[in-house]
Amino acid sequence: MTYLFIILYAITLIYFALSERTKKFIWLLAIQGLILFGVVFFSLNEIDIFDFIFILLETIIVKTMVVPWFLNKVRKHNQLKREHEPYVPVFYSIIVVILILMVSFLLSSYLNNGNMHTQYFTVAFTSIIFGGYFIIIHKNIFSNVVGYLIIENGIFLLSLAVGSVMPIMVNLAILLDIFMAVLILGLFINRVGDTFKSLKTEYLSKLKD
Amino acid sequence: MLSLVLILITAPFFVGIILKVKAKFAARKMPSILQPIYDVSRLFKKGAVYSTTTSIIFKIAPLVYFSSVVIAAFFIPIGSLKGVLSFNADFVYFAYLLAFGKFMMILAAMDTGSGFEGMGANREALYSMLIEPAFFILIVSLALFTENTSFYGLFKSLQISTNLSYILGLTAIYVLMYIAMIENSRSPVDDPNTHLELTMIHEVMVLDNSGFDLALIHVATWLKFSIYGALISNFIIQMEWPLYWQLGTYFLIQVAFAGVVGLLESFRARNKLGKNPQWIIMLSAIAIVLFLTTLIITKKIILY
Amino acid sequence: MLLIFFIFSIILCLSVFLLKKKIITNLLSKIFLAAHSFISINAYLKINQFDSPYYKFDSLAVLLSFVLSILSVATFYHSYLYLKRHKVSKRQEANYYAALMMLITAMTSAYFAENLAVLWASVEATTLLVSILIFYEHTEEALEATWKYLFICSVGIAFAFIGILFLSMTAGNNGLTNLSISGLISIAKLMDPLWLKISFLLALTGFSAKMGLFPLHTVAVDAHTVAPPPISAFISTTLMNVGFLAIYRIFTIVAHTEIIDWVQNVLLIVGLLSVFMATIQLQRVNHFKRMFAFSSLEHMGIVALGLGAGGIGFYAAILHLVFHAFTKASLFYQVGQIHQFFKSYWIKDVSGYFKLNPVGGLSVLFCFISILAIPPSGLFVSEFLIFKALFINNHPFVAIAVLVLLSFIIYTILKNVLHLLYDDVPVGLNFENVKVNQYETISQFVLLSLVIYLGINPPLFFTNLINGAISVLN
Repeated sequence: MTYLFIILYAITLIYFALSERTKKFIWLLAIQGLILFGVVFFSLNEIDIFDFIFILLETIIVKTMVVPWFLNKVRKHNQLKREHEPYVPVFYSIIVVILILMVSFLLSSYLNNGNMHTQYFTVAFTSIIFGGYFIIIHKNIFSNVVGYLIIENGIFLLSLAVGSVMPIMVNLAILLDIFMAVLILGLFINRVGDTFKSLKTEYLSKLKD
Repeated sequence: MLSLVLILITAPFFVGIILKVKAKFAARKMPSILQPIYDVSRLFKKGAVYSTTTSIIFKIAPLVYFSSVVIAAFFIPIGSLKGVLSFNADFVYFAYLLAFGKFMMILAAMDTGSGFEGMGANREALYSMLIEPAFFILIVSLALFTENTSFYGLFKSLQISTNLSYILGLTAIYVLMYIAMIENSRSPVDDPNTHLELTMIHEVMVLDNSGFDLALIHVATWLKFSIYGALISNFIIQMEWPLYWQLGTYFLIQVAFAGVVGLLESFRARNKLGKNPQWIIMLSAIAIVLFLTTLIITKKIILY
Repeated sequence: MLLIFFIFSIILCLSVFLLKKKIITNLLSKIFLAAHSFISINAYLKINQFDSPYYKFDSLAVLLSFVLSILSVATFYHSYLYLKRHKVSKRQEANYYAALMMLITAMTSAYFAENLAVLWASVEATTLLVSILIFYEHTEEALEATWKYLFICSVGIAFAFIGILFLSMTAGNNGLTNLSISGLISIAKLMDPLWLKISFLLALTGFSAKMGLFPLHTVAVDAHTVAPPPISAFISTTLMNVGFLAIYRIFTIVAHTEIIDWVQNVLLIVGLLSVFMATIQLQRVNHFKRMFAFSSLEHMGIVALGLGAGGIGFYAAILHLVFHAFTKASLFYQVGQIHQFFKSYWIKDVSGYFKLNPVGGLSVLFCFISILAIPPSGLFVSEFLIFKALFINNHPFVAIAVLVLLSFIIYTILKNVLHLLYDDVPVGLNFENVKVNQYETISQFVLLSLVIYLGINPPLFFTNLINGAISVLN
């Protein structure tokens, strides 16, 4: 059953490379939260019940509802419609996503040592590397935040590998990270948008020697 | 033999069902389901007009195209009914048969010397090239999963496995459906109703064909749809069911496939032309994801 | 004990933030400083004891906490002067002090943390709090620098988290269920070396944004350009100490495993590259605070070289860290005064400082002698020991390369300093209403003499603290 979620998660990453509209980014992040909820539900059933319910609630509330709602508010406030021309055309981005998937597949099979839950490593590494690639190719700081959240989802998947041994610590850390990142980054995006009247990164290049 | 007959039976009604579904969703008056059959039989009675700039290729291409599609239909099993021909790795032969037919059509389009047809041929070739990896990787991952390489063997052993095959099956159906729509030039890649030459793809390739040739091309399109529908139905039909049950499911799935195609066409606008390549390669990307997941499932590790 | 301190400081900070009266702010700041010094001394008396499962009064933490106490007194004083001169509203002043107090609390929590998760969370908290302070002047460049700082530090912290995750994976395999540092040290030999290498590399990359080492050093440079001078002093010194502490903790975990040579080579490469980047970028710099930021980069590179060298290098690295903190802080406090005169930070606008403010000029001169590691500065002692360690442990080429690069750096900085001090005063400068008190520079003289004293004739408790900190490495 978890393989279904792995496939769906990888497909959402491909859709991230394909799409250009900001609303679709937010929608895809919500779907990723839902997929992660399913992953947690089916894999972390060896820990005791209170931790389990807490992690489930955290995933479904934070990743699927709070974060997309917050990003939606920022999007409406700054009237973002679509991402104008990323640095790399979308066609090549999709090919790059596939290459990243294959590289992370090789990486995870190299690191495999059989006594850990490494079934999620492939998509986790893909998510992290693709999040970094996403940040680099987009010119908009809103997309930078979306890329950061993709990295966060990948880290969450990685932490599930150790989640059966040390559940609370790892997931509390993720919770803190997401909250602080989205709240503070969201506030700052509004501030940047109001000051510069635009969210393109070329306005943020004045600090040079 | 019986599977070929079944495919031939369901072929003529396919486009009729699609049109009916689209009309129903658009709240228009529905044409009869047999309307495409009437159109094609009208075309069969007419003679063909050939332009003076064309050569022998233009005359034989529709026939080659049609015959390649018919021979490709020989390989498709339905449930426990074997295809007329079946050998190891016959899906490669199948794919290249269809590609050969398409190649002859592209040559014929360029043969007419018209700018528009060349443009259509250009685009058609690109989209076929981009969707080819999707088909191959899909079937290869299924072959990897079931350790059988002919169509019949593949689908036979696909039934035995457990819920992992559901996952593979679902994704495979999704990808196959879109492959069918792209190969037959339906939305969202190509709109068969448009006659704005700048955005036509398949229609403009056959702009100069008339009469008997045009009829052959239309029938070949129906057959291709029917073939892909049969492939999709194989994922759902279980080998253990009694024969009449399998046949009933087959017809049901063909009708449902046509209905879903009509649904997708009604609710989705045609892509902007520049976006087509990236949309098509997304399907190949999904097929690759499926392939990698099959590798994980079957525990075949590439590098150690 | 520490928990009581945290709750107390949160209450203080909230009261300052909500009440916004000047007298209360002053009073509560003084109470806060007294409480922090009390915690430092208390930690020294209870050295090497566990305070709770998550905090331990480790020697290095005690040493850095002393540095923090001294520097926070100086920073509060200079912040008071800065805010008085810039005539900020009461609300902004209250925000400033509240954020500064929370920052000091978060740093204390990071220093004393015994658990990797607590350490990571405290470092994250310091990032957020310091960005409030960097953005204090509300200009466009400040917004840009703060955004970049926040974003890249968050990405760095995420990478460090992946590193800690890998560490916990191998630890979980060997039976450990929490991330306490002493637990990790005890099972270090059992852990898979490949995972240890990867996690060290990721943690180094992530925390290098905090410490100002090679991969992610750029954010600190930009942050320095726009932050108020007392905050720049804080970022350059105590915050870089937090980064160093985080990397050091992970270094102690891998110190007795088989990968220690590889780890030290990585640190040598990182240190060399940091010094190299500092040299190159210093050639083109036009802005005073950026120049000092690159100088911090260079010194942190030297600290990494000390860690990578081993032996006496460990002692020298920590010594260098402490001395650099004091010297760099006094530099930045003086920059605040320089800004008062010239109203600008660009190097071409600033010259002839000696004539305008002799005492300030004298302090600048001593600061620069100190920061360039010229004797009798304490930094000379630590750099000498680091180079000695490099030569003893068979890294002569690294040492020679760094010496050559350092000579370039000395040339560039000295050129700019002499331009600052001795060139002619720029024409058309009006400085009638500059209220500069001569007695403000006393703090810098105190700090500099502390550096000289600790370098030449360190008291016994100081050397004992450092030796206690590196005892786990041997």
